[in-house]
Formats: sequence, C-alpha cells, structure tokens
Amino acid sequence: MKLIDALMTGLAQGGMIALVALGYTMVFGVLKMINFAHSEVFMMAAYVGLFVIAAVGGTAHPLLAAVGGTVVAMFACSLLGITIERIAYRPIRARTRGSKLARVTPLVTALAVSVLLQNLAQLLFTARYRPYPQLFQNTRPIIFVVAIAMMVFLELVVKKTWFGKAMRALSTNEEAARLMGVRTSRTIAMTFALGSSLAAVGAVLYCLDQSQAYPTMGFKIGTQAFVAAVLGGIGNIPGAMLGGLLIGIIGEMVKLTSYSGGVDVLVFVVLILVLLARPAGLLGTTRVEKV
Amino acid sequence: MTLALKNVRKSFGGLCAVSDVTFTVPERSIFGLIGPNGAGKTTVFNLITGVYPFDTGSITLGGKSLANLKSAAIAEAGIARTFQNIRLFSQLTVLENLLVACELQKRAHLLAALLRSPSHYEDESSMTKRAFEMLDVFSLRELAHAPSTSLSYGNQRRLEIARAMMLSPKVLLLDEPAAGMNYGEAEGLKTQVRWLRDTFNLTVVLVEHNMQVVMGVCEEIHVLDHGETIAHGSPEAIRSHPAVIGAYLGEDTEGGAA
Amino acid sequence: MAGRTWIRTIVLALLVAAVSLALDMKLADILTDGSLRQLLMLTACNVLVAVSLNVINGMAGQFSIGHAGFIGLGAYTAAVVASQLHVKLGSHAPTLAASFIVVPIALLAAAVVAGAFGFLLGLPSLRLKGDYLAIVTLGFAEIFRLLIATATVGVQDTPAQAWSAVRGPGTFFHALGVSITALGGQNGYAGPGDQGVPLYAGPFWILTIVTLMVVLAWRIKFSGWGRALRALREDEIASAAVGVDPTRYKVTSFVLAAVGAGVAGGLLAMMRDGTPSVQPDTFNFQASFDAITMVILGGSGSVTGAMLGGVFVTLSIKAIEYGQGSSFVQDLRRHAEWLDLNALRMILYSALLIALMILRPEGLLGERELFQKKRGAKAS
Repeated sequence: MKLIDALMTGLAQGGMIALVALGYTMVFGVLKMINFAHSEVFMMAAYVGLFVIAAVGGTAHPLLAAVGGTVVAMFACSLLGITIERIAYRPIRARTRGSKLARVTPLVTALAVSVLLQNLAQLLFTARYRPYPQLFQNTRPIIFVVAIAMMVFLELVVKKTWFGKAMRALSTNEEAARLMGVRTSRTIAMTFALGSSLAAVGAVLYCLDQSQAYPTMGFKIGTQAFVAAVLGGIGNIPGAMLGGLLIGIIGEMVKLTSYSGGVDVLVFVVLILVLLARPAGLLGTTRVEKV
Repeated sequence: MTLALKNVRKSFGGLCAVSDVTFTVPERSIFGLIGPNGAGKTTVFNLITGVYPFDTGSITLGGKSLANLKSAAIAEAGIARTFQNIRLFSQLTVLENLLVACELQKRAHLLAALLRSPSHYEDESSMTKRAFEMLDVFSLRELAHAPSTSLSYGNQRRLEIARAMMLSPKVLLLDEPAAGMNYGEAEGLKTQVRWLRDTFNLTVVLVEHNMQVVMGVCEEIHVLDHGETIAHGSPEAIRSHPAVIGAYLGEDTEGGAA
Repeated sequence: MAGRTWIRTIVLALLVAAVSLALDMKLADILTDGSLRQLLMLTACNVLVAVSLNVINGMAGQFSIGHAGFIGLGAYTAAVVASQLHVKLGSHAPTLAASFIVVPIALLAAAVVAGAFGFLLGLPSLRLKGDYLAIVTLGFAEIFRLLIATATVGVQDTPAQAWSAVRGPGTFFHALGVSITALGGQNGYAGPGDQGVPLYAGPFWILTIVTLMVVLAWRIKFSGWGRALRALREDEIASAAVGVDPTRYKVTSFVLAAVGAGVAGGLLAMMRDGTPSVQPDTFNFQASFDAITMVILGGSGSVTGAMLGGVFVTLSIKAIEYGQGSSFVQDLRRHAEWLDLNALRMILYSALLIALMILRPEGLLGERELFQKKRGAKAS
C-alpha cells in the first residue's frame, strides 16, 4: 500500500515538476539557452498566489481562492517572463549573435537574472517561510488532474495554433522561420509568457501541497524541473512531461528507502549521468556539426 | 607515404553519405577528388582527418591504420588540411595562427612554459623563425602581426595553407582552394600546388569544382556522386567518361538535358 | 637573454618571500585589528580563486559555475590533513616553524584532491558544450555540498573502524559514508574532537603561494599553451586539424583551475585570524556566483582583470558584512525588517552583470592585461 501511495504522490509531484520543466524546454527550443531565471519566476508565482489567496479570504472560499490565486499568478508571471526577456535577454541576443561570446553571455545573464530575482524576493518578502493556507483536504489528485489538463492544453497550442507552429519553426531554424514571415520577437515573448504561466500553475499547486513559500524555494524545484527537462531531452515538449513524471516518481521511491535525505543529491547524480551517457536525453536527437 | 581508403562507408542517421569508397593516392602525386555538390567529397576529407569516425572499411597512411585516431593524432601522423569555408583562428594574428600549428613539434610543453625553462625559449624562438620562413613562402610576412580576420579573402586562403604546412605534413588535403578565385588567380594556384609538392615532397589531395584547376594540375582523379565512386583515372579519361558527364549534366532518365 | 631572466626571477622571488616573511612576523603589530588582517589574507585567497577560475572560464572558453566545489574540496582536505598533523606534532599552538611542515603537506593534499576531481569533471567537457557543461559543474558542487551537509551514516562509528571493516563494495560505501559524516555535517568540521582546525597559514604562506600561482597563470596565458587555448576557443575542429588535441588541453585546464581553487580553499581553511572550522554552506552556489562575478567584472581571460575582480568583490562583501553589523544599520533594521544588505549587494551585482553583458560582454579589461607590453614588439 505504501508503494501505491508513494506512486500516486510521485505522479502528482511529477506532474507539477513537468509543468515547470516545460518552461525550460520551450525557451531552450526557441532561444537555445537555459533560462536559469525560470526557477525564480516559479518562486515569484508562489508569492503572488499566496497574497491573492489571502486577499480572497483563503479557507473561507477555497475554490475561488485557489482558482483566483492561480489565474492572477499566471498573469503576473507571464508579465514577469516577458519583462525578463525584454530587458535582459533581447539586448544580448542582438549584440552577441555570431560572436565568440555567444555561448557564455546568455548563460551569465540568465544566472544574474536568477540571482537578482531571488534576492529581490528576499528584500520584498524577507527570508521568512510563509505558510500557505490548507485549502483542500486532498490536493494530490487535484494537482495531477490540473497538470495533465495543462499539458493537453499545451499540446493543443503547440500543434494546432499559429503560435505553436511559429514556435516550432523558430526552434528548428531561426533564420528560415524569420524569412518565412515568423515574427521572431513576438513568438519569443509569447513563449516566455506561456512557459512562465505554466510555472505559475506549478507553483501554486506546489504550495497548496507543500504549504510554504520562501525566497530560495526556486532553486530546489527549479533544479528538479531542469533535470526533468534534460532527462526527457531539452527542447522536446513530450520529453519534459515524461522527465517530470519520472523525476517525481523516482523522488518518492527514494523517500521510501533509508536514504530519504539523498533525494537532492540523487537529482544531481541523475543529471550528470544523463548528460554523460545520453546528452540528448530520452526523447531528444543529436545533431552533427557541419564542417 | 601512400594514403589508401578501402571500402569506406559512413552514414548519418539513415542517410548514406559515403558508401564503399576505395582509392589509393600514390606518394608525391597530385590527386583530385571531384563530384557534383553533395557527392560526399568533404565528408571523405572529414573521415580521413577524423572529424567523424567512419562506419566500416579502412583508411591507412603508409600502411598504418588511421581508424579510431582523433583529429589531432591524425595531424601528428602527417595529414594536414584546409577547410571549404575557411576556418582561421580569427582573434589571433597571422603569426599566431601559424604558431598554434607548432604545438605538436615542441619538445618542451606546459611544465617548461610554467618554469620558463631554457627549452621553452628555444622552442619559441625556433618556432617563430620557422613561422616567418613560412610566411615568406606565401608572401605574408608584412601581415604577420595583423589579425587574421583583416586579411583579404585570397590571403586568408593562403594563410590557411601556410598554417597546414607548418605541420610539415606528408599529405596535404585542400578543400576547394580555388573557390572564389578568378582565372588568373586559379592559374597561380596551379603553379603553387605543384611547387609545394616539389619543394616539400608532399602528396596533395584536392577537392575542387574548378575544372580548370582540376584538369590542369591533377595527375589522377577520383569521381564521387551520391557518396559512390563513379569513375577513376587520368584527367583525359575522366573528361570523356560518360558517367561523369551524366553526373555533372544530369542523367538522361527523364529525357532532360544530356 | 634567458639567463638574465632567470636571475631576475630568482631575485624577485626572494624579494616576495622576504617581504611576506617580514609581514608574517610583524603584521600583528602593524594591523592591530584582527579583522583587517583577516581581510588582507582573505583578499589574497580570493584573488587566487578568481585567477584559477579564469583559466577555465576565461582562457579555455569553458564555463564552470561550480568553482566553489573545488574550493570546498581543498578546504576540507587541508583542514583534515592539517588537523591530523597538528595532533601528531603534539597539539602545540601553531608556530611559523611548524607551519613549514603542516602547510606544504596540507596544501599538496588539497591540490591533489581538487585536481583529481578537476580531471574527472574535465572529461565530460569533451562531449558537452556551454550550458550543459556549466550544469555538470554546478551539479558537482551541489553534490559535494549536500553530501557533506546531509550525511548521517553510522554516526557512532569512527572512520578508522569503518575502514578496517571494509570487506566488499557494501562495507566500502559504508566506510565512505562514515568518513563523510565525520566531517561534521551542517555544523562544519572543526578538527578531531572539535578542537578547531589549526590555523597555520599566516601572511607568509598566503602571499607567497598566491603570488606564485598568479605568476603561473600569467605564464600559462603568455605561452604556446595559452595560445593553443585561445585557438581552441575559437575553433575546435580547426585546432584539432593542426594537432591541438582538444581533450588534452581542456582537461588540463580543468585540472589547473581545480588545483588553484583547491589551494585557495586550503589556505582559507588554515588562515591565521580566520575561523577554526570549515562549513559546507560556505561553498554554496552563491560562492560560485561570486567567483564568476570576479572573473567577468575584471575581464574574461585577463589575469590582472581577475585579480582586480577578486579584490573588488572581496572588499565589497566585507564592507557589507561590516555595515550589516554596525549599530546604525541594526537600528534601521529594527524599523525596516526587510533591509538585508547582502541581498541588496547581490541585487546590485547581478544588475551590474546584466548591464555588463549587454554593454560590454567581454568585461572591464577584456582579454587585455594591465601593465602588458605591446604585443609583437619582441617578435620582429
């Protein structure tokens, strides 16, 4: 029974991780960069959600509070994502295209944005752990259902809409996409908005379950999500979902053993092993450099 | 030393880029490797120089297998190359570009550099001397301290050959050296290739589209199409080979041009 | 000419040794404030941190965001070795004479351990590029930190017992776990029996070793080896085609950088006037980020730039710590709980880095050096 229980928890956790992982993967797809700031967008969403839930009245209207908190957090984080892209990433993209620093500059910028947001949260909200109100009796099934619903929604967006096509075109070949009339800037901005709002859903779900928000929360969950994205094959949307579920389940399984404290270490070990053994991830493909 | 390929095959994913290519480049010859775009010529170069490993077959230099050797080891074995789209170290000066190619021949290495031992200084000065001699050969001495990006296209091509020559190679692979050259420059290139071969006792393999150069300088020619060998022989024989004409002008299968 | 250079080098080396020896004996009289002495030595150590990271991030064009892991490895190794030696020497108060036995051995151990891990971490650099490699380095540093902070294997055993009981892989890992647990977990390592890590490294050791390492970094840059690294950074395929083996050069850069960081960590752990314990959280991501900031502010690839960055970042960290502790800020915080100067510093740093990436991605100096002779003047 304990095993079944852990499996259910793992699926819920995994679904939530997958939501965050999708943001990493989509941005990597279009920009070929790791958006380290994504984990901090997640953290900010947790705070926004918390404040809205408190404002709506919390446990007095659980459903309204949960939905309201999620929607506002999604909206706020879309804005945050777009702002980050606009202020930090777009200028360096224009500047470093083709230069020898083209690889390092985005990396440093993304790291810096992440550090900035985390410390900003420290200033704005203090380092205190803030408890989330317990809105529902049993959150795990809700998390899982919502996560799956979001993934189906995303799949539809990516496969059926104009924006999804533009995004996929951009991730395959930016130059060609531009020449074919894809509006690069707008598509990139929308990718950030979509990825950030998925992370916001993940954040509110996470906090409803784990019941705390604090400035450094992004690092832990962000790492797990990133590992999930890499595990599935970064840039690959179904891969991120698969990776998220796997990480969630593995994490819960480890908690059953006597090494329950080792989850964080294990996540990094998995990451390094995947990168060494199959850098393209489970569902990714490798490309050969043209000489 | 003779360079020999035997039944070499390479595929990328499902696409077969080179299949069953076999040829032997005689020592001190000038050898042409030609074919229409996408025939697999550059891939053959990349396989010889270890940029990618080949799937099956064998590549040998002087009887010694080059399979599973890394690029740097193949350079050490005596094969130098240039690239189709020039690959210079653009942030380095012309002189520095040549000096990088000397790393292999240094007797002293990192430890000597850290200690600034006498052998470090000897190496540096003898290498610099050699590099200047090579710059003289390609009349680039005046540009020694210019950044390599500032060079004209033709000089960049020559610098790339000079850099390859710094390895004192036994076999020199030139990937489209005449690309972008006019008639006069191409004639000059022909003389230069012959001169290099005679002066340095080299074997030269050319991938080239410019037929003026290929027919004028090569002693033996191997023709590829879609990764397969379609002809091999002297320039005269290749010129009139029906398969070659077919490959270049389009097969007569749909009643098109022939 | 080479002969004269040698004489000059030896004279300069003796001069540095003499000055730092004099400082070692007299510093306590010149600077009576212990925290200022600590600041001086800390700055020197951080210069080494920055200069060593610059070998990977600046010269070799790789990107490590886990430098703290190497520093931590060095710090823990040196702390353990120095503590053991200290006990063997009779646990007397550290003297300069005894430091000639303890410091070289402890630093050598730190360098070897960090270098070995640098080698292991350099291997993936052959297959992984840019972001991916960065993530692996981060993973390594976090694994290191988390393992030490969270290990709770056989708390009642001693490492010696556990190792003597090794019979197979199972007991081997048990012994390994016991050893890691013996490093004190989240509370840090403070020598056997929590006697404190003996602080043997005074100004003499810190200044001479940091100077030596900086000179070595300079020589790496201005040698054929450094030139090959620059070529490799530009075009790996072309470099390999002229015989510069990317594997060897990249892995060696990782080892060199790790050795530098390990030595810096060792010095930090044994620093006179420092804290007599080593804590895992000193080597968290923020420490790696500080090291990156040092290198990037000064100029990626510039040795003197990295030194400047190291000095600047260290001084500002300490200034903030000082400010945070002052009664004025303490009073302010009573009214404004949010006022966290360190968070403010990180915000400023990261904003500065973002601005730098947008306006001048190569850093303050770029690859240039302060006091650099015109290139080519000697060659022709």
